[in-house]
Amino acid sequence: MKFYITIVSLFILFNVHCQEKSRSDLIKSEFKKFPISIKIDPNFKKAYLFFIEKEYDSTLVYSHHFIASHGLNDKYSNYCHYFRAMSFINKQLFTMARKEFEMLPKTFPLYFTAQSEMGTIALELGDYSKALGYFLEIKELSQEDQQYFKEGVLYHNIGVCYLHLEKFEESEEYLLEGLNLQEKEQNTSFLITSYMDIANLYYAQYKDDLAIPFFEKAYALSKKTKNFELKQNAALNMAVVEENRKDYLKSIAYRKEYEIWKDSINDQNKILAVAQLEKKFISEKKQKEIEILEKDNSIKKAQRNNFIYSSILLSLLAVALFYFYRSKKKVNKVILAQKVTLDALNDTKDRLFSIVSHDLRSNVNAIDRNNSKLTESFKTQEYKEIGPQIEQGNALTNSTKALLDNMLNWALLQTEQMYFQQEDLSLRSIVNHVTHNYEPLLNSKNIALKIDIPPSMFVYADSESLKIVFRNVIDNAIKFSVAGDQISIYTNAQSHSHCQLIIEDTGTGMSNDVLTDLLGQSKQESKKINKERTGLGLHLCQSMMLKNDGELDIESEENVGTKLIFSIPKTKAHEQD
Amino acid sequence: MNKINILIIEDLKSESVPLVELLTKNGFNVVAVAENFKDAIKVFYEEPIDLLIIDVFLNGVPDGITFAETISTVPGSLKPFIFLTSSKDRKIFDRAKLTSPFSFLLKPFNELEVLYAIEMALEKFYDQGMALTGETKNAVINDDHVFVKKNKSLKKISIADILYVEVEQRYCNIYTDSERYVVLISLVKIAALFEEHTFIRTHRNYLVNSKMIEEIILNEDTIILKGKHSVPLSDNYKKLTKQFNLLS
Repeated sequence: MKFYITIVSLFILFNVHCQEKSRSDLIKSEFKKFPISIKIDPNFKKAYLFFIEKEYDSTLVYSHHFIASHGLNDKYSNYCHYFRAMSFINKQLFTMARKEFEMLPKTFPLYFTAQSEMGTIALELGDYSKALGYFLEIKELSQEDQQYFKEGVLYHNIGVCYLHLEKFEESEEYLLEGLNLQEKEQNTSFLITSYMDIANLYYAQYKDDLAIPFFEKAYALSKKTKNFELKQNAALNMAVVEENRKDYLKSIAYRKEYEIWKDSINDQNKILAVAQLEKKFISEKKQKEIEILEKDNSIKKAQRNNFIYSSILLSLLAVALFYFYRSKKKVNKVILAQKVTLDALNDTKDRLFSIVSHDLRSNVNAIDRNNSKLTESFKTQEYKEIGPQIEQGNALTNSTKALLDNMLNWALLQTEQMYFQQEDLSLRSIVNHVTHNYEPLLNSKNIALKIDIPPSMFVYADSESLKIVFRNVIDNAIKFSVAGDQISIYTNAQSHSHCQLIIEDTGTGMSNDVLTDLLGQSKQESKKINKERTGLGLHLCQSMMLKNDGELDIESEENVGTKLIFSIPKTKAHEQD
Repeated sequence: MNKINILIIEDLKSESVPLVELLTKNGFNVVAVAENFKDAIKVFYEEPIDLLIIDVFLNGVPDGITFAETISTVPGSLKPFIFLTSSKDRKIFDRAKLTSPFSFLLKPFNELEVLYAIEMALEKFYDQGMALTGETKNAVINDDHVFVKKNKSLKKISIADILYVEVEQRYCNIYTDSERYVVLISLVKIAALFEEHTFIRTHRNYLVNSKMIEEIILNEDTIILKGKHSVPLSDNYKKLTKQFNLLS
């Protein structure tokens, strides 16, 4: 009896190469039909995506999570079972894969693909009759579903099953049919497998003549492939064949070749290991680079943050500076305003001093001289002289008093300490009260006074300031008038809001130059000291009229007279019965 | 009898003497010159006073204002008063203003100003603005007195002393036993004021104090009053006589 060293079981895994793509397409198209709620389930989504990406470990983890949360028999848990089974197959964990597949109901849409996998698993585990059952079921499937399987592979696998079950006739039929179909495909690996399986079939039936050409074909073809396992198997098969033919030399040669391929596989493994180490090294290097870049990044980030912080600080500083600048400017403004006020006050003071030093002093000096003369006259008993001297003394005292009053009033007005209360006043009464004091003087100087103010004339003013103004003006009018002159006080055409009071004299008057000088002086508060007139009285009058919301104008002609025109606000809607 | 009684509160003789002179000359009766707060209060409550002239500063302190404040707070005792001051200081004025004086008089003052201030104080006190300082009126009337301007001076007439009132065109003649006063006021107004007293109308133009009637001569249409003054009695008003208990 011939014996054979059995041949490495040779069947082809469906999913390994060619069908992979169409299979994943199938799953993708299934996935598109799923409802949104499942699609967005993080576990399912991840399981699916990792499955497509062939990350089987991750697929196993997430599909496990999904099943744990949705229960074993959920419709979508089936998909996860499917993912898990396929992942286990790829991890070569066939019993686990079978367990997963067994959980799938027959109604599962991808059940037919599962069947083929089940068949493969059964083959792998040596349960040939079971495998045959699965494969035959697939063969009965509709044409549409068949497109996912390579017919050649299917026939081949069925043939292998029969071979192992020692049903050689059926085996031969299917294997040859498979070979036929695969020769069309021109897939070297499949062809080699097919040749070797057919050779094994014949060899097992001791049909050596039929078997050997297939072995040789397989061996010849194996030279073209890069698959060391196939090369190794082909060489081993040839060695066994030659050994049985007692051609030991050849057998040893094939054996050696087999050893070489076996070593090659080991080498390849080593190379793979080295490659993996290299890969690891490279990835470590990259990791380091990434770390460096990250550090770089963090440094840059820190720099950027620093820049931002410093710019914020700078802008804050700028705002603060601006604020201080503004407040300083404000303070400066206040200081400037204060300076103006102080200057004005200082002017007032200077003016007062100038008046005191000049006018007042000369007046007091004159009184002093007059008193000396008076004493002299009294001593020498020149009584005729005494009368006019006393009169002169009186006049001097009066003018000094008037000057003092003006100074005081003016100072009060400038410092705003004067009591000021505007009220309804009878203009006639006010004028009468003022002129009453001058009656003796007017009589003695023989100056006529004519007052013509209607009794219904009421003004809205402060009585005391108005009196001060009138006193000054009348004083002045008398000063520049001589016997026979006339002073008239009367009202004139009036506007709606103001009444016009005119105090006119027929005295010496002033030339235009003097008038301009006087007005200019009073307006500009000139500091000229040594002038005969300081214009204080006029200035006071104008200020006070202004304070009463009125005006004061002067018209004067030399040797004709002076005319002062007052504009005073009228009483508002005064009623008289 | 017909003089206005004035109390002066002034500590300086040099100020008060000319003022007293001026007032006396113008027919006022200066009741007293008080030189301090205490004296002023005493005189004020003992004598019949019609008007006060108060110096703001007494012995260097503004006791004048204190006095005004005192009489302002006692009900019924307030009389018209005038503040006298030489200061134009706003602070003093502001404080004085709080007592609502009826007039201010600033030193130095002349006769006209004093008289004007008195008129002003009276008309303001009795709330009859322009009744004396204006040109169209010349009298202030209170419950039992008439203050009337006669010539330049002010006179006080007790309403009880009036015999009768005779109405001319736009003014009235008020007759007392010894004098006649011209008052620029319409009869209607004066009648309204006097009817609260004992006055009756005997003629379209006559208003008679019934207490002064001595004899009514019906057939001569005449009423004889105290001091032999006679007034006409017109037919329209004869029925009024019926309210008297006639002797004949």
